[in-house]
Amino acid sequence: MSAVIDNMDKIFNLSLVYATFRSASPIIFAALCAAITQQANILNVGTEGIMLVGAFTAVAVSYFSGSWIIGVGAAMLAGAVIAMIIGVGHVKYKADNCAIGMGINMLALAITKFLLNVIFGTNGSFTSPDIDPIPRVHIGFLENIPVLGTLLNDWSLMEWFVIVLIIVLQFLFYKTVWGLRLRAVGQFEEAAKTAGIKVNAVKYQAIFIAGLIGGLAGAHLSLGYSTQFTENMTNNRGFMGVAAMYFGGANPVLTSLGCLLFGFADSVGSRLQAYGIPSQFVLMMPYIVTVVVLSISMAVKLSMNKKRQSSLT
Amino acid sequence: MSKAKEGFLRVILTMAVALAIGALLIIAIGENPIDAYGALLNGAFNGKFRLGTTLAGFTPLLLTSIAFAIAAKAGAFNVGVEGEVFLGGIVAAYIGINWTFLPKPLLIIACFVGAMVVAALWAFIPAALRAFYNVSEVCTTILMNTVALHITSYLVSGPMSAGTANPQTAPVTVTLYQFMKPSSANVGMFIAIIAVIAVIFMLYKTSWGYKIRTVGGNPNHADYVGISSKKVFIGAMMLSGALGGMAGCIEVLGVHGYFLNNFATGLGSNGMLAALIVKNNMFATPFMAFFLAVLSAGGMGMQQMTGVPKALVDTIAAVFIIIATMETLFTFKKRRDIRVAEKKKKEGQS
Repeated sequence: MSAVIDNMDKIFNLSLVYATFRSASPIIFAALCAAITQQANILNVGTEGIMLVGAFTAVAVSYFSGSWIIGVGAAMLAGAVIAMIIGVGHVKYKADNCAIGMGINMLALAITKFLLNVIFGTNGSFTSPDIDPIPRVHIGFLENIPVLGTLLNDWSLMEWFVIVLIIVLQFLFYKTVWGLRLRAVGQFEEAAKTAGIKVNAVKYQAIFIAGLIGGLAGAHLSLGYSTQFTENMTNNRGFMGVAAMYFGGANPVLTSLGCLLFGFADSVGSRLQAYGIPSQFVLMMPYIVTVVVLSISMAVKLSMNKKRQSSLT
Repeated sequence: MSKAKEGFLRVILTMAVALAIGALLIIAIGENPIDAYGALLNGAFNGKFRLGTTLAGFTPLLLTSIAFAIAAKAGAFNVGVEGEVFLGGIVAAYIGINWTFLPKPLLIIACFVGAMVVAALWAFIPAALRAFYNVSEVCTTILMNTVALHITSYLVSGPMSAGTANPQTAPVTVTLYQFMKPSSANVGMFIAIIAVIAVIFMLYKTSWGYKIRTVGGNPNHADYVGISSKKVFIGAMMLSGALGGMAGCIEVLGVHGYFLNNFATGLGSNGMLAALIVKNNMFATPFMAFFLAVLSAGGMGMQQMTGVPKALVDTIAAVFIIIATMETLFTFKKRRDIRVAEKKKKEGQS
């Protein structure tokens, strides 16, 4: 423990800022995927599975085509296809959200394992120099600026893109007609129907876009965050995203802030590992932080609601 | 057609579709589906060892599936059974190794009680968070599974390690009798069956069970008629946890004889599958658990006999559940009725 205190400056330094954002980025994508459907009042338990299928597709297509762009595109499409299974099941055939979502997660786990076995003939993980990763953005003039250089240089392209995506979604939800309709469907379906909104069409659109983003989340994980595919590589990041979505009430900006907290726990943990903290404690830290933060935020929300109601009467 | 009959027919239809999709996948990788499914059945049933292995795999699934179903009866979606199995297992191993001052029969009981109490307390956390703060139990339980996995993994590779290359504990001093050697089928199976019968009896024949069903049906109504929905919800989740802990205890005392790192991976999720496919029907869940146990035990044989990887079996199970959740997919009769009604209407008009 004393080793940790002695090396505080090595654990909490400037590069921790980027490390936090880096570990948070896949979770942010996942949380955004969950946020879109949540706005239409569909709890997207299948985020994890959508992501995992995206991750596999990205690696496989990038390997065979030699282009990360095609890989990412294919991953987004694959994500959308998987999401549409949830969509059709839930909207048309009245499947329970949680049940079909868990089914999708299991399907994703099994089918990626199966395809890994059949296509690449390996178990566990697949990596190869032929996989074309998503490039990192190197900004020449930042190199010589001390603080900004460490902070902003050499980000993966997707890490920049996720910031764009947060802003785009924030705009889409709260400043466009489509966003208004989406939220109307989510808050009071019957009223939306009465107002002439095609409820099912809006739900399908939301799920489709969620699938695209979920696929992208997976592609970022397997082509940007790392350059390989491992069985179950999402490792519950999808569920952390769903937790963050609850934390931020499906608001893209607030949701992403929640993700940063989990990213922080993750990156501090991996630094602590070097100073004699058992790896298991390090590995479980982001999960504990997620549960604790989620509980606190829900408790606060509940008490605020109660106050609001009592001031009304 | 009665409701039960329709439900049964739907399950059979779903099973057929899932197996057909599996067959298509097998053809796609250039193997013969009939051979593969034959190898699967052979691997699950042919011979004392294989049948015993299937039964040994069935035991924890029976408990975890009922654990999921009982929580679902109170309106909870308890994905956390797997973590409860892990914790139950480690507690049973700890008591089984260290409390040797107890006579053996008492020690076995102590293992079960310890495992069930700790697992129930673990389930209390997400249950209370849900009941009092409305925190989604789907999220918390699944994240807590990972925490439980890492806690046991730390204990078994650190303080409780037997010092072997594989992270595992020293052998426990009491074991459950294995009746089909060399397979690991053990008397835990009968303990599990008795537990399941007790749970079903409790649910349909006692006031406690009535309360659970009322809360699951409509918590507001329950509160209105004077049943504390929060208390009952938490109670059902803890019972679910206790059943998970029991599964862990049986695995450690009956199958392995020590706590093996990662031993419960998939036990919770497969149990959940079994319960979800039959919509948490208490009477059908055990049969579904058996079917899944056959699939996973036979999958190993299939992988050895043919070129079809075991992951295909998991794929079939997942497809099974996705189709099974689609409530209105196989409602032929209703659709036909609607069509007939519409026709009559038109005829009446013309």
